[in-house]
Amino acid sequence: MNISLNWLATHLDLTGKSIKEIDDLFTFAGVEVEGIVIEGITSEKIVVAQVMEAVQHPHADRLKVTHVDAGEGSWRQIVCGAQNYKVGDKVPCALPGTALPGGFTISETVMRKVESRGMLCSAAELGLPAGEDGLLILPPDSRIGMPLKEMFDSDVLLELEVTPNRPDLLSHRGMARELATLLKTPLKLLDIPTRSVGVSPTSSIRIDAPAACPLYTAVRISGVTVKDSPAWLKQRLEAIGQRPINNIVDVTNYVLHELGQPLHAFDAAKLSGGIVVRHAAQDEVFLALDATQHVLTTGDLVIGDGSGRALALGGVMGGADSGVTAATHDILLESAYFTPAGIRRTSRRTALSSDSSYRFERGVDPAGVFTASALAVKLILETAGGTAEPTTLVAGEAPVLTHPVALDAAKLNQLMGGSISLRDAAAILTRLGLTELADATWEVPSFRADLQRHIDLVEEIARVHGLDNVPSRLAGTFVPASPSDAAYDADMVMRRRLAALGLYECQTIKLIAGHQVGDALLSRPLLDGDLIRVKLPLSEDHAVMRPSLVPGLLASAARNVGQQVKSLRFFELGRVFRNAGGGKAKDQESDSLAILLAGPTSPSGWAQPARDADLYDLKAILSSLLGGREIRFTPKDRPGFVLACDIKVDAQIVGVFARLAPARERELDFTAPVYVAELDLAKLRKLLGGINHVVDLPQFPGSSRDAAMELPLATANAQLEAVIDKAAEPLLVAYECFDVFTDPAGVKLAADRKSLAYRFHYRAAERTLKSEEVDAAHQRLLTALTSQLGVKLR
Amino acid sequence: MNLALTWGGFPAIASAFPMKEQIGSIETDALAHIAAATTERGLDDARVAVLGKKGSLTLASAGIKDVPKEDKAAVGQLLNAARAAISAALDAKQAALREIADRAALAGIDPTLPARALPLGALHPLTQIRDQAIGILRRMGFVLADGPEIEDEFHCFDALNTPADHPARNEKDTFYFDSGKLLRTHTSSVQIRSMEGQAPPIRIIAPGSAYRRDEIDATHLSVFNQLEGLAVGSDVSLPDLKGTLEYFFRELFGTTTEVRFRPHFFPFTEPSFEIDVKLQIKGQAPRWIEVAGCGMVDPAVFDAINTSRKDRAYDPQTTTGFAFGMGLDRLAMIRWGIKDIRLLIENDVRFLRQFA
Repeated sequence: MNISLNWLATHLDLTGKSIKEIDDLFTFAGVEVEGIVIEGITSEKIVVAQVMEAVQHPHADRLKVTHVDAGEGSWRQIVCGAQNYKVGDKVPCALPGTALPGGFTISETVMRKVESRGMLCSAAELGLPAGEDGLLILPPDSRIGMPLKEMFDSDVLLELEVTPNRPDLLSHRGMARELATLLKTPLKLLDIPTRSVGVSPTSSIRIDAPAACPLYTAVRISGVTVKDSPAWLKQRLEAIGQRPINNIVDVTNYVLHELGQPLHAFDAAKLSGGIVVRHAAQDEVFLALDATQHVLTTGDLVIGDGSGRALALGGVMGGADSGVTAATHDILLESAYFTPAGIRRTSRRTALSSDSSYRFERGVDPAGVFTASALAVKLILETAGGTAEPTTLVAGEAPVLTHPVALDAAKLNQLMGGSISLRDAAAILTRLGLTELADATWEVPSFRADLQRHIDLVEEIARVHGLDNVPSRLAGTFVPASPSDAAYDADMVMRRRLAALGLYECQTIKLIAGHQVGDALLSRPLLDGDLIRVKLPLSEDHAVMRPSLVPGLLASAARNVGQQVKSLRFFELGRVFRNAGGGKAKDQESDSLAILLAGPTSPSGWAQPARDADLYDLKAILSSLLGGREIRFTPKDRPGFVLACDIKVDAQIVGVFARLAPARERELDFTAPVYVAELDLAKLRKLLGGINHVVDLPQFPGSSRDAAMELPLATANAQLEAVIDKAAEPLLVAYECFDVFTDPAGVKLAADRKSLAYRFHYRAAERTLKSEEVDAAHQRLLTALTSQLGVKLR
Repeated sequence: MNLALTWGGFPAIASAFPMKEQIGSIETDALAHIAAATTERGLDDARVAVLGKKGSLTLASAGIKDVPKEDKAAVGQLLNAARAAISAALDAKQAALREIADRAALAGIDPTLPARALPLGALHPLTQIRDQAIGILRRMGFVLADGPEIEDEFHCFDALNTPADHPARNEKDTFYFDSGKLLRTHTSSVQIRSMEGQAPPIRIIAPGSAYRRDEIDATHLSVFNQLEGLAVGSDVSLPDLKGTLEYFFRELFGTTTEVRFRPHFFPFTEPSFEIDVKLQIKGQAPRWIEVAGCGMVDPAVFDAINTSRKDRAYDPQTTTGFAFGMGLDRLAMIRWGIKDIRLLIENDVRFLRQFA
């Protein structure tokens, strides 16, 4: 909302208040100052001065040393660079301490060894329309010493953001009332005549929708002359960015911004019969004065007449053909109270919004309906002439929206930490317009319908008292840690480990495009209805809740490919979303970890050749992430990917691994294989739990035996492991594969065969093993491998 | 007759005087060979030739048995002296050769060559600011809490005292699903979840995503990150709110940071405040920057919780609390002078590596 400082000053004395002070006042009243536009000169310290002397500066060719009379009794020495003036001219002089619109503050200074005590100004420097170069030459009859602000129109426009709970601030009077409270200064009285009011016959005003419009008043003014508004009225409206239209419309707008009560003037000639306040008929068509056409519903409120036409959309906007025009002679001035919810609904549904609907939907002061009408009648008669009916016709009655509220001193004291006395608190409420009744209850003025409960009074007291005046307490209660704490800590361990392993953590957006769903790497395939789609996406690019982190990571990696990044090593921890069981169960959220590797495992350098990451690198990262645990991959096909495997730790499936399908890699311009894994964070967190007991270190030496085994190329290493694990040889404590040999040329080994070299470690906990025992155990293992897998020992 | 040939070609002659001469020449010869050795291997050959099983001095020593008795002591002494001298020369030469070899081994090493390349990794800036914020709040005894991002209207709005026709509930501003659920517009819904789940005292913080139907641009994301906080007890007051949040922001931005509380309005707190901190962003004059919203929990929220819990654990007559919420993306932007919020979701390595 726009507030003009000059206009505001007609309601209270703001003399001596700087713009900064007023800014702070609003800020601490809870009104956000979004912008301050200074028009013209506002400083008292820019005055008319006469140049009495001007001599060449002794040390600067382009400067002159002047002596000016600024009405201070003695002359003032000022160094000046302008050339366009002569001795005897009257010019603006900014005295030390003046802040110029450019943000520059004048001070006493020394310019090239000559003292200068102020600044002679150009029009541009004062924020006035720029004229010729050089000093602004003032009329010869200007009074020396007079502040320039008295010679030029000036104002300050404040752009304010009022919170929705304070509709009472949506006018100059309302803002002034608030400032008067904070400044502890009185409000100036309003000059509004009292008019007589009378119950309207239903032939003149009939309310068919009393819930939506409990109070409707109208005054008929005959014989008006519609024309341009007088200068003062135009200036008021222009100062807050409103375009003057004609004297009648301008008065209604003026009263709205003066008192906060929206009004509407109808051309009485265009009405047939009396006013009927009613709900719209279903599909009734309304042409608004902004020339938009609207199809109404029965929830909308219209102001109609005897003909059944809708003259206005009540409280929102007038109609195209019932408004005041240059040809209007008689008007009907409406002032009413419309219930907020209905206005809000209609305004939102029709996308019609006006200064009027903005106020009605937040709630106007029901008691202000009459005052606003009286002020408008007075101003219309002053600016447009004519004769007003002596009595304001009234239908319905002003709703009472306030009631006495009790203030509990003990609770106030508790909440404020004892920082304010009850007497000071009461003084604040009194200044806000509340009246203390008996038994510590307070009567609330009609314009503060937001004050309904004890806490609402406390808020007012706290706000006006200010948190600056409340002490700070540094204390707290001890509470037990939660499962979320444990999850967070485990996640941070994983994040730090992955970063230390040379991966960048990513954050990708949780809403993805439908076409990205194909990149999702999921342990369970998506069923119809599993995807969670938002109803009204901003764009198709952000339409689906991600069921997997992989699509986002892939998009980030592809973006980096575009930046010529070769080594792509990323991870993300975050939430993924899918409906369980095709949407029949409730929405499901779980936490995931995804890793993406592609391109060189490390940047290339002089010391090592670049090597592209492969799936064993990813396996190694997973193993390091989980403290050296063995990671096993079990192949399981997944559409859109190749080499897809379940990831198992301790025989439990914890996630999915795959390489992106080569065709998709090419589509996204990857030049190296892209390996991805997505893991269930809840399971990983448990695996990070740490140990409960240490294992005693072995007391006796162990012994190892190697075996080179030849087997078909297609036999998976996992099959070997399965045989070894199944054999459950009691003396075997560990084994590892230390060589894999293949020869595609088929020279040293048939091309369809491979040779795996394993080392088996044997040990008994309680004694040193004899060589024969180790040999026997080793032999049992080899027998199992040869008999079950047909491996050929080499 | 023991007639081994040494590399010197001297026959071993078992007589005292020739013996003395012989010992002398063995020693001279051996020392010369030791001195001439240029490798440890050559030195070892020299050692074997003189001190080995069939070495010249070993053989000469064997001849002592033929030396007349009266000369034996003198010849023995000569032999020992020669052996000692040769051994000493061998040791010294070995040390010298090793030193030369060690030096040679270092000669090609240029410490000024650049490092081998290890891949670099980093935590995302949001993780870093979140962890810092959580760290400070945990020091103050807050514990973590969590809740769903796909919420219902009760937890996101109704229980938070948000009227049915509040603009935030508009389909234009909030993502809804056909199920009637919605993407939570703030993490404040976790306040409700926490209070439903446990009786006071409560001291929780909830980091998490929130969603608003905003077009993505330099200052807006439709998915953003918040940190919510809630403290509820029997005597929680404005001084607690003020002390907690002043401490928090001073820990985050520096102990001398100015913090101010501006009155504001939120449906679920009363009184409500916005918090500004005075900060100097590089290249700008210090100014007040809005960083958080906060307030005392509105009694209407406690009423809603009691209804939902079907008890009076949060009796508004005896229960008070404060709540706060802040945008982590915004804090990260302020903390590091990030001008475009989209950098936080684009994952450009040139951006991320600055946080390594």
